[in-house]
Amino acid sequence: MERIQTHPILGDTPEGKQVTFTYDGKILQGIEGEPIAAALRVAGVMTHRYTKKRHEPRGVFCAIGRCTDCVMVVDGKPNVRTCITPLKEGMVVKTQYGASEKEGEV
Amino acid sequence: MERYDLIVIGAGPAGLSAAIEAAKNGARAAVFDENERPGGQLFKQIHKFFGSKEHKAKIRGFKIGNDLLKEAGEWGVKVVLNATVIGLYPEKEITVRIGEKILHYKGDSVLIATGASENMVTFEGWTKPGVIGAGAAQTMMNLHHIKPGNKVLMLGSGNVGLVVSYQLMQAGCKVVAVVDAAPRIGGYGVHAAKLARCGVPFYLSHTIVRAAGTEAVEGVTIAQVDESFRFVPETEKTFEVDTVCVAVGLSPMSQLLKQAGCRMKDTPGGLIPDCDEYGATSVPGIFAAGDVAGIEEASSAMIEGRISGAMIAGYLGYLEEKAAHTRVEELEKALESLRKGMFAPENRGKFMKKTEEGIDTSVSLLEHGFLADNEVEKYPGVIRKAGTHPVIECTQNIPCNPCQDACPKGCISIGSNITSLPVVDGTAECIGCGMCVASCSGQAIFLVEEKCEDGYGTVTLPYEFLPLPAAGQKGIALGRDGTRICEAEVVKVRSAQAFDHTSLLTMKVPSDMVMKARFFKAV
Repeated sequence: MERIQTHPILGDTPEGKQVTFTYDGKILQGIEGEPIAAALRVAGVMTHRYTKKRHEPRGVFCAIGRCTDCVMVVDGKPNVRTCITPLKEGMVVKTQYGASEKEGEV
Repeated sequence: MERYDLIVIGAGPAGLSAAIEAAKNGARAAVFDENERPGGQLFKQIHKFFGSKEHKAKIRGFKIGNDLLKEAGEWGVKVVLNATVIGLYPEKEITVRIGEKILHYKGDSVLIATGASENMVTFEGWTKPGVIGAGAAQTMMNLHHIKPGNKVLMLGSGNVGLVVSYQLMQAGCKVVAVVDAAPRIGGYGVHAAKLARCGVPFYLSHTIVRAAGTEAVEGVTIAQVDESFRFVPETEKTFEVDTVCVAVGLSPMSQLLKQAGCRMKDTPGGLIPDCDEYGATSVPGIFAAGDVAGIEEASSAMIEGRISGAMIAGYLGYLEEKAAHTRVEELEKALESLRKGMFAPENRGKFMKKTEEGIDTSVSLLEHGFLADNEVEKYPGVIRKAGTHPVIECTQNIPCNPCQDACPKGCISIGSNITSLPVVDGTAECIGCGMCVASCSGQAIFLVEEKCEDGYGTVTLPYEFLPLPAAGQKGIALGRDGTRICEAEVVKVRSAQAFDHTSLLTMKVPSDMVMKARFFKAV
């Protein structure tokens, strides 16, 4: 999905500082301080994790840190709510499988 | 352990208002909120609010949020962010998680203003990435400046569904349909009409059968439902979308109140604390205000907060009992006026056949989102006369009156009853300033001139999209139902600070179309 450059009510989107992070090893760009989930959506990433038992994809649902559907492994830590965790330079973001970053693990 | 006169949980409209009101009277107040930013949902609400001046009508939500924060700062209210309150005890003690630490605070009084969370309905594929809450859409587009999706289907026609659909269009997304299992649109007709005239179709008595897609949403299928909400065979309709937005109501987040031992009530609107009219719960010194005490909206939450704040100041001894009651009485009057009209809490879900004036309600508006052309003129805001004049397509009794103050010439009157339909006085002279058009939070006011030159007239309409058309631009006029009705040319576009981001677009259309043309589409 795109960033909104200019909005009829909110005006021009303030320019933020570009940072680089990795998503499953791929190098992506985002704006410092925006939720990790926002940067991922702009990059077209919709699936944040797969459920443990049925291997079903999940993504952002509530975007306010309540539903925990968007959790990923961030800098080695699982279950990080990407919709409310600010993006920082050099973050390592990985798809979460169950509660792990590797498929097949628990 | 730190102590405060008042601990508020939740820095949204209710919580901030309560803290300000108590602090104004000398109480030392702290507000804890789990979010990174204060304001609750106010900063996502970019539409103009309804109500009257005292309810901050015609001001956009995020501006109200900024004003509240400023006021809180001025009165020395401490706002602690990224602070999740995880425990509330009858002794008015709280435990708060801040970072990796659990901290402990004590209040002489505690106000819970934790708001509400979104409800969900399940359907095949509802867990797929691309199915989001309406609040998520608002958060993404209005706070983080990203499009939630390109093509969106909205489930839910309450005010949240309607307002968020419009905001999605303002963000540059396409809204393919608004769908609701109920037989009638739940939110304000004026909000629905804004969408309908842009061509958004409404499917009432319909709901989602399934969201399809291999990984994320690629399409959604809806079908008609009967009175028992069972699917009607062979009524399926499929839309190609990447996003399904769900706006099917809110539930109070009342867990902390229950934990503290407050007496609770199980209502159709969720589990709420059993409060008196000032927000006092069954536990002395613990209060609740805003959506957590019963779902309404931000305008009433702010007043409820003020009422509780004044009562708390009284309870703590910062305000004499008499003074507290005088203040509360004044606030209650303001709150009562917001709870009047067709959408008053006691009328929720009811079909109001007639307006307070005894005029038939528009069934077309309730079922399709727009007034039928042949029923518009029965409402008192719609008149025909020579020269420019306002045409007010406000047909439901809702508590809102900025239009009557907006007109410097006295063309518009609502009177002392805030829910009365606006009346246009044909004898007063309209100068075409457009203040009424920009002041109407429902975007239901148009300036119409039947004859400006041979066979042509003009329609001036509120316009809140980009790119903004320019004078001379040719295009198509759309009717109330969003269908193309004639060619149109933009003759004037006005933007002014006083209009607050609502531009006034004047288009020239054939004279016989001025009472039908309600939107301009560039070609």
